[in-house]
Amino acid sequence: MKIVVCIKQVPATNEAKIDPETKRIIREGLNSILNPFDTYAIEEGVRIREKFGGEVIAISMGPEKAIEVLREALSLGVDKAILLSDKEFAGSDTWATSYALAKAIEKIGDVDLVICGKQAIDGDTAQVGPGIAAHLGWVQATYVMKVEDIQDGSIKVRRMREDGYDICEMNFPAVITVLKDINTPRIPSLKRRLAARQAQIPVWKPADIGADTDKIGLDGSPTRVVKTAPPPAKKNVAKRIEGTPKECAEALVRELRMRSII
Amino acid sequence: MLHHIKNKVYHIEILPPKQDSQKLEADLELFAQKYNRVMESGYCACITDNAMGHLSFQGTEMIEELGLEVRPEQVMIHLNTFHTLEDLHNILDTCKSKGIKYLLVVSGDGSERLPKLQPSDVGAEGKVESVTSVELLKYIESKYPGTFTMGVAFNPYEPPEHEFEKLKRKLDAGASFIITQPIIEKNKIVDELLEKYPDIPVIVEAWMSRKLHLLSEAVGYEIPENTQYDPIETLKSIHKLYPQCGVYLALLGFKTQYHLIKDIWV
Repeated sequence: MKIVVCIKQVPATNEAKIDPETKRIIREGLNSILNPFDTYAIEEGVRIREKFGGEVIAISMGPEKAIEVLREALSLGVDKAILLSDKEFAGSDTWATSYALAKAIEKIGDVDLVICGKQAIDGDTAQVGPGIAAHLGWVQATYVMKVEDIQDGSIKVRRMREDGYDICEMNFPAVITVLKDINTPRIPSLKRRLAARQAQIPVWKPADIGADTDKIGLDGSPTRVVKTAPPPAKKNVAKRIEGTPKECAEALVRELRMRSII
Repeated sequence: MLHHIKNKVYHIEILPPKQDSQKLEADLELFAQKYNRVMESGYCACITDNAMGHLSFQGTEMIEELGLEVRPEQVMIHLNTFHTLEDLHNILDTCKSKGIKYLLVVSGDGSERLPKLQPSDVGAEGKVESVTSVELLKYIESKYPGTFTMGVAFNPYEPPEHEFEKLKRKLDAGASFIITQPIIEKNKIVDELLEKYPDIPVIVEAWMSRKLHLLSEAVGYEIPENTQYDPIETLKSIHKLYPQCGVYLALLGFKTQYHLIKDIWV
């Protein structure tokens, strides 16, 4: 199987500021990390490869600095990494980004499965995975919480809904976006980390992937951010637990577990 | 472990580099220098396991990757419950093959990114809600009988009744030595511990940072930031107060303090 995992470098902090002119995040001066949801996508790709064979390729679009998250992906077990980086890509919205990633996936060729995290923590749009599927004309399943099975040429997944879950069976090639419930990502070993630091990572430009430059960057991005505002503050609601100390402790543990705090 | 106390072998904590280190090669070299210095001094190198929940490299992989010599009496590996079962076995198998026999088994500090052993992993399904050092000790003893000498932590700042009850369960599960949280003066709970378990080796932790206020969380009360503290003098007094105990040195300054400890334990 050939699996592509799409990953993104995002600001490490939630104190990012928005440029009042462009309404975009000011990324200069911020520490960057691998988008946490993408860690689960990488782990799932590596697990599928470990079970069924093949290779996992991580791709990312961003400035040269984004090579750091590709090294992280290599240390987490992917076989190859590719960076899409060029000034022509700068300013791409989710549609233009998914177009560029789709073109890169076409160039890689013979890809069976694309895995993305459910969303990036900076934009929170959850649009790039579905956008890639749309550009490629492939089937997709979003919010995947479990890969149930992989048979010859098809994948069966469990996807979360607000009121339960769906079981979807799709023929390859396909795109899935995954939730953090899907696995527990491994911690990179020192050996892999050191190897990743030495790895050669190719940088592809628009011409390398045959991208139409009218469809990337600011010009290729239909999104216009008119206004940004913080969401209304959540109202804290206190819940009183009553009963014997044992009952209270049990109820407290149950409540904390329901909120995935413990 | 009694051998360490009789022969005045300090336990010196060494932190492996963090996973997100931006200067990994330099950090690895520094780790190797510290480790080798501890070996040459005849002390015991105690390598932490994701201390404070910060993602770091494992002591075992540091030893393997850097080709460090293991002298069985001089290496102790911290081991906590924040691992996958596979990783746990990798660590234990490496310890076994390298001849590392001392383990400090603790529940440990977790983080969002760290996995956690599940009760079903260690044969405790239905018995406990979550895996602690007690279940980990039992599991290691069942899978690697007689291979390791395992120690546990004792916190004299916790409510004593609860802490002693926990300690009993740890000892029943296979622990054979005890390391305390840092103490800076005579501590009546440590005195009680020594009275209660006269035959079990106890190692008291000495706080070697001048920043005493960093201990606030451990001791449970606020220590002012400007508190004057002399770690070397405190170490001397700990030896006088607890001559029957070994000593674990946390946050020892290798450049500024290491040369000073040589003749203190007499």
